[in-house]
Amino acid sequence: MSFITAKNLTRRYDLSDPWIVRQLTFRPKRFLTAVNDVSFSVEKGTTYALVGESGSGKSTIAKMAVGLLAPSAGTITLDNHNLNDRNLSPQSQQSMRRRIQMVFQSPYASLNPRWRVGDILAEPIQSFDLIQGAKNQAKRVDELLEQVGLSPSDAKKYPHEFSGGQRQRISIARALSSQPEVIICDEPTSALDVSVQAQVLNLLKSLQKEFSLTYLFITHDLAVVSSVANRIGVLNKGALVEEASPKELFTNPKQDYTRMLLNAAPKML
Amino acid sequence: MTQPLLEVKNISVEFKTRRGALKAVDDLSIDVQPGEILGLVGESGAGKSMMGAAILGLIDPPGRLSKGEIWFKGQRIDQNPETLRGCEISMIFQDPLVSLNPLKKIGDQLVETILRHKKMSRAQAIDRARKGLIEVGIDPERLNAYPHTFSGGMRQRVVIALALAPEPSLIIADEPTTALDVSVQAQILELLKKLCRGRGTSIILITHDMGVISETADRVGVLYAGRLAEIGSTNQVLRSSKHPYTQGLVASTPKIDTSSFGQSLYQIPGSMPKLDAIPTGCAFHPRCTQGTLKCSQERPPMMNNAAACWLLEETRQGI
Repeated sequence: MSFITAKNLTRRYDLSDPWIVRQLTFRPKRFLTAVNDVSFSVEKGTTYALVGESGSGKSTIAKMAVGLLAPSAGTITLDNHNLNDRNLSPQSQQSMRRRIQMVFQSPYASLNPRWRVGDILAEPIQSFDLIQGAKNQAKRVDELLEQVGLSPSDAKKYPHEFSGGQRQRISIARALSSQPEVIICDEPTSALDVSVQAQVLNLLKSLQKEFSLTYLFITHDLAVVSSVANRIGVLNKGALVEEASPKELFTNPKQDYTRMLLNAAPKML
Repeated sequence: MTQPLLEVKNISVEFKTRRGALKAVDDLSIDVQPGEILGLVGESGAGKSMMGAAILGLIDPPGRLSKGEIWFKGQRIDQNPETLRGCEISMIFQDPLVSLNPLKKIGDQLVETILRHKKMSRAQAIDRARKGLIEVGIDPERLNAYPHTFSGGMRQRVVIALALAPEPSLIIADEPTTALDVSVQAQILELLKKLCRGRGTSIILITHDMGVISETADRVGVLYAGRLAEIGSTNQVLRSSKHPYTQGLVASTPKIDTSSFGQSLYQIPGSMPKLDAIPTGCAFHPRCTQGTLKCSQERPPMMNNAAACWLLEETRQGI
């Protein structure tokens, strides 16, 4: 049973000059197709990785999946609900948003530096009205911090008091706080050291087992993908060029582009 | 052995604070042979970038070089590094977005660098700049373009052209590919390697990525908490690492290896100590799985098999 389904997903950006400039220069409108007719599906409790270079449309797909961007054509559905459906009532939209969360690339930019960690983690709980009462909320925050390997006393600190890896743990705790079913990870480890990266990837895997989470994992590094993904989709210039299990993809890549990516990944002796 | 191009002898970099001096680099010695690519790896805070800054004399106060000597081509340079900076030793920084001046055309930036260090006319310098751009694979017609019109990989190519322009004998590359994609990273490393091999330029390649090291470097030094943990040829350090920290770093690097799908990566327990709380003895001992009592009491010297670890002494005695 597929949980996230993208069907003929397309996103165009309008790069045209202002109307008056077009009239004066006789230039037509210009469009950039960032995502072109992409279809894939993700099973519940598995990890689907989207791999590609900068500008291949990975992050645009992530934004459409969480409903931050509307597709120009096609649909992306979560458990058969369409996040971008205009006819959806605000209440059901809100309840959809609770089920899907995001972990961003840079833990330095994605946490509010003026908020204490406890407040950062409590915000989704309050905005989705999940737990009533400050005491119960604080208890939940402590629990979240322990789940990601931090200590409850860290709730009183500010983000700058933590290292990069610890901050990414806070980001993950924030994503978990609304008890989501899907987490979109947009390059969660590319700002981190190798040793810290291993810790964060292992944490994501153990959380997946514990809460049967579904991940959409976005990265440019095939080596990272090999340890976490159940299925890999390779994007090139907005189009899905190849889709396979990691084993298939690494032993028998079908596209030249995939082969190029595999060769580019630094190899250990 | 020929005379090394660069010799760093027992240097320490200290930052004075109210709670005492923090040592970002602690009694560290390395040397670089002519034409060699030396990799320096370690986690954030290991002192890799401080090392590069120390060689160029770019340590900002309150930090200072508190101890040691730096020799370049048989000349002591830690007293007056300005004479060589940019000319004999140049630097490539991590982020090509920040290291180019956004208000100046790249041609002007190249010409400025060349004229600063070489005695030649402006026309000659422009000609030189064109040749420099061709070498790094950029159309010389783009001399009059601004940095923002280039992509990240192209900008890093411009930065390489800029670093090579005064024909230095040593380039310090501080995480030159961390801000780039994997496929662009491969191109940039290949280019850097090709150009430096062609000219016999040495490189100190600073990175946290073991994969980058294994593809590029001849020799590699592993830094931990400002100290050298292990040094040796790339082959030796990566294939048969002696120091437990190096072993952990190698094991935690994700590999494209068909046998390891879906398996968890190895992780080194704990994290790098803060500079104000560096453990006694071996700085790595709280995270080390094989630590003994001696490790927590005495700082291990560099053993003659080029790793600073007490375990190696014991195995040697055992034999």
